[in-house]
Amino acid sequence: MGKVNDAYDTIVIGAGHNGLVTAAYLARAGQRVLVLERSERVGGAVATEDVFPGFKFDTGSHRIERFHPSVVLDLRLAAHGLEIVASDPSVFAPTPEGHHLLLWRKAESSIESIGKLSAKDAERWKAFCGLVAKAAAFLESIYDNPPPDPLSNSRGDLWQLFRLGRRLRGLGKRDMLEVLRILPMTAKELLDEWFETDVLKGCLGSQGISGVLQGPMAAGTAYLFLHHQVGRKDGALRSTARVRGGMGNLARALAEAARQAGAEIRTKAPVGRILVKDGRAFGVALNDGGEIKAGRVVSNADPRHTFLELLDSTALSPEFLRAVRNIRFKGVCARVNLALKELPNFSCLPGEGPHLQGAITIAPSLEYLERAYDDAKYGEPSQEPYLEAVIPSLNDPDLAPAGRHVMSIFVQYAPYQLKDGAWDSIKREALGDRVVQTLAQYAPNLESAILHRQVLSPLDLENAFALTEGNIYHGEMTLDQLLFMRPVAGCSRYKTPLAGLYLCGAGTHPGGGVNGASGYNAARQILQEKRNN
Amino acid sequence: MAAAKAYDAVIIGGGHNGLVNAAYLARAGKRVLVLEKRHIVGGATVTEEVFPGFKFSVLSYVVSLLRPEIIRELDLPKHGLEILPLESTVTPMPNGDYLGRWADHDLTRRELYRHSPRDAEAYDDFGTLMYHLAYAVKPIMGMVPPDPTSLRPRDLRSLLRLGKHFRGLEPAHFYALYKLMTMSSADYLDEWFECEPLKATMSASGIIGTFLGPRSPGTAYVLLHHYMGEIDGVFRAWGFAKGGTGAVAEAIAAAARRLGAEIRTEATVSQVIVKHGRAVGVALEDGEEISARVVVSGLDPKLTFLKLVEPGELPADFLGAIRRYKIRGSSGKVNLALGELPSLTCLPGNGPHLRGAISISPSVEYLERAYDDAKYGEFSRHPYMDIIIPSMIDPGMAPPGKHVMSIFVQYAPFELNGGWNDQKREAFGDAVVNTLAQFAPNIKNAILHRQVVTPWDMQEEYSLTEGNIFHGELSLHQLFFLRPAPKWTDYRTPVTNLYQCGSGTHPGGGISGASGRLAALEILRDG
Repeated sequence: MGKVNDAYDTIVIGAGHNGLVTAAYLARAGQRVLVLERSERVGGAVATEDVFPGFKFDTGSHRIERFHPSVVLDLRLAAHGLEIVASDPSVFAPTPEGHHLLLWRKAESSIESIGKLSAKDAERWKAFCGLVAKAAAFLESIYDNPPPDPLSNSRGDLWQLFRLGRRLRGLGKRDMLEVLRILPMTAKELLDEWFETDVLKGCLGSQGISGVLQGPMAAGTAYLFLHHQVGRKDGALRSTARVRGGMGNLARALAEAARQAGAEIRTKAPVGRILVKDGRAFGVALNDGGEIKAGRVVSNADPRHTFLELLDSTALSPEFLRAVRNIRFKGVCARVNLALKELPNFSCLPGEGPHLQGAITIAPSLEYLERAYDDAKYGEPSQEPYLEAVIPSLNDPDLAPAGRHVMSIFVQYAPYQLKDGAWDSIKREALGDRVVQTLAQYAPNLESAILHRQVLSPLDLENAFALTEGNIYHGEMTLDQLLFMRPVAGCSRYKTPLAGLYLCGAGTHPGGGVNGASGYNAARQILQEKRNN
Repeated sequence: MAAAKAYDAVIIGGGHNGLVNAAYLARAGKRVLVLEKRHIVGGATVTEEVFPGFKFSVLSYVVSLLRPEIIRELDLPKHGLEILPLESTVTPMPNGDYLGRWADHDLTRRELYRHSPRDAEAYDDFGTLMYHLAYAVKPIMGMVPPDPTSLRPRDLRSLLRLGKHFRGLEPAHFYALYKLMTMSSADYLDEWFECEPLKATMSASGIIGTFLGPRSPGTAYVLLHHYMGEIDGVFRAWGFAKGGTGAVAEAIAAAARRLGAEIRTEATVSQVIVKHGRAVGVALEDGEEISARVVVSGLDPKLTFLKLVEPGELPADFLGAIRRYKIRGSSGKVNLALGELPSLTCLPGNGPHLRGAISISPSVEYLERAYDDAKYGEFSRHPYMDIIIPSMIDPGMAPPGKHVMSIFVQYAPFELNGGWNDQKREAFGDAVVNTLAQFAPNIKNAILHRQVVTPWDMQEEYSLTEGNIFHGELSLHQLFFLRPAPKWTDYRTPVTNLYQCGSGTHPGGGISGASGRLAALEILRDG
């Protein structure tokens, strides 16, 4: 509904991967689109950066679970240089006792590895993968659309609810009840029902806690586990993928697709305010004072930043603002990037080998994860954190000088809110030490192999990627903040109470992870609305 | 078979639900026999003179959820039921102060204001919202859960009615209810309040009987229970039965007897007799067999299906579901006979606060740390305690000048590292008394006798598997159409003519009687 005298139909605030997806789709539909990015590069938390001379790191996200397949096709991302490579094995999990677990893309290979730890678990693996695949497929059908609205009486919404019910029934009586039963469970309950091997449960359960200030004994963590399995039709659990050349290439491909569709992308253009007149967003004011008008503003920033920082509080109702203030962010993740002069040598599986290709997961048991959470619950970083490390230079030699490597470690729990004051350089380095020490228990040569080390605390993540409280998902992925409750009840369909303002970031359904679904759903919603007018 | 007299229904277990069930069946003209293992009826709803002259509600100690229609339909007041109000809650604080909530609304408001003006303002709004939400779930508590996979007209009608009911709620209430179902009580209350003892004491009601901490999602909706009683307007939210909780069971038993039901105590059922897939009676431990057209079990699902029924009579799926049904006990009870009243540091001497509840829940972190101990198989070193002094409300409970104190304690995990034994039981009792002594220093000297009930004792003496006071955890995946197992939530079982009527069925725990009543209505429906 852009007026003719507006320079743009749509302004997208933030060039994160979801913002770029939205921009590309709107531009493809013929809109004049401007993307405004505060930093000097596009991609937001999808970034590959030169941190130390010659060493490049994925400083934000380090992996992809499922990038929306329609987006890859529609935007011809492959033609723009995107190559998604599956990791195989997907997981390498050493245990303190000197055993290890490898999960591969092929179920048979995983079964062989599991079988060395427990014949019983190996036997159950396929059935478990089958159930998870069913549940994940059900979630996927919810994720590719705006969330169902249980209260709406519109024909379309009722039809969506009906279809959802039918899909659920389509699973068959037994599996339908099983899926419904699993959704509100704890990861521990779910995994205890199936398996006995600690490291298997730990390494699967870790997917139920990533990014939330909860342990695997908290209800809702089974859901989050399933969330991370969406897109694995083959039931290859925990299979992950990476982007050839580093995650930054995904951002580059998306930006190129958007530009080619006609979108304009401006970096180093931080938005200070969303302009509102007569109850309608009509443009933005940049930090440098310039104002740009547009028929519509789409924010890729998280909901708290969007509604509390970019808008005047009078633009929204007090109830709505209260709900926004109550969104829990509670960042719990940190990242440690290591420049290595040699590969880590694991005691349980010495030397080089395919195991280093997978996500090196330090989650030897569910109790380990729960104890790591206990520390964070009271405002301290975990004494023994859950770690997930990747060494992308194994496949992309360009990321490090010849013979050298880069290792990127995802760390949890490192709570944003500390009991004894804010994060500072001392606490940051103490966290780095702890992470390295924890990993060195499994790979003793690690400490001597380190050339450089970068530690990003949740506070650093907040500053670097504009992630409120360092929450990597733009809001915790807990049951009460999902689906029609995301980001807040009554505002879950990318449209906000303020006319002309939309959301397209991970703070909306279906939420976190590098998947592009929020950006895709938001664009479709906007275009559909336009058609309806 | 010594079938001297055939019954229409034999009910296994004279707990309050079994008794309610019996009363309703008898009321419909059925010949009913209740078989109770112990020497008295009531199950966990029981008053016992543990020490001469000192009577205790040994397990369950307050009445809040007893369905008003049961009180009415069985005419319980006429059979001796009298509920005395328990109106206040005082939470002592470590700094010597306290937080009190009283029957007098203005007094409570002033008290809250003293701690936090913001919370005093929010308190009423919160109460109003919870009141609405309690209304919103009320119909669920009184309905037989439908099977969402079924296409039977009855289930479809029921599902449709549910859908219509919830979609008919005000959006704000619908969303608040959704949040309540999925959040932790700590997070939910954080959205409203800032005063620690207030949040902790309120969230404590969300953890009672669960193996969860206040920060675990799924604890918030139990907060509703506090408001459920109120909306019925029959009696106050929390009350104490004159004569102790056992008086509730006595009243129901009296009503049942009057309606013609027969009740036998010290009659332990060892097996449900099944012939050609149909339950035809029960066998007692002493070899006696009693035949009946219908057998109803008031025991928990584990006991009913894993102990009393031959595994061959049940489908594998169902058995699997019952085996994985979670029933971890997490609470204990300490009952004290006192020579004198406790004197709280924050409120010395006698006073109205001793007529209400005293809650040892100074902060959410305190509760959460208590949970941490239990998580790893230890009882809480500093447990959460809900304390009442029944003799202050009903002097008949103790000899003149003396008192009885009932302490509900959490957490005491059933699966204790190394297992429960006499030593551990006393160590647990000591932890409770020592913690209490921090707030009431004279307590140690005041104790004449002490009874410590661990989850192990609850299992052994009161037939509560793993000592779980709700016959199964009240977590989301064990509620409504999943309680106790999918497809078998309408009080029927895979064995024809075998029914279940205990707390392990919808709507679950607490002295509500709802399961017993709903089961009776279903049995009568089947003829």
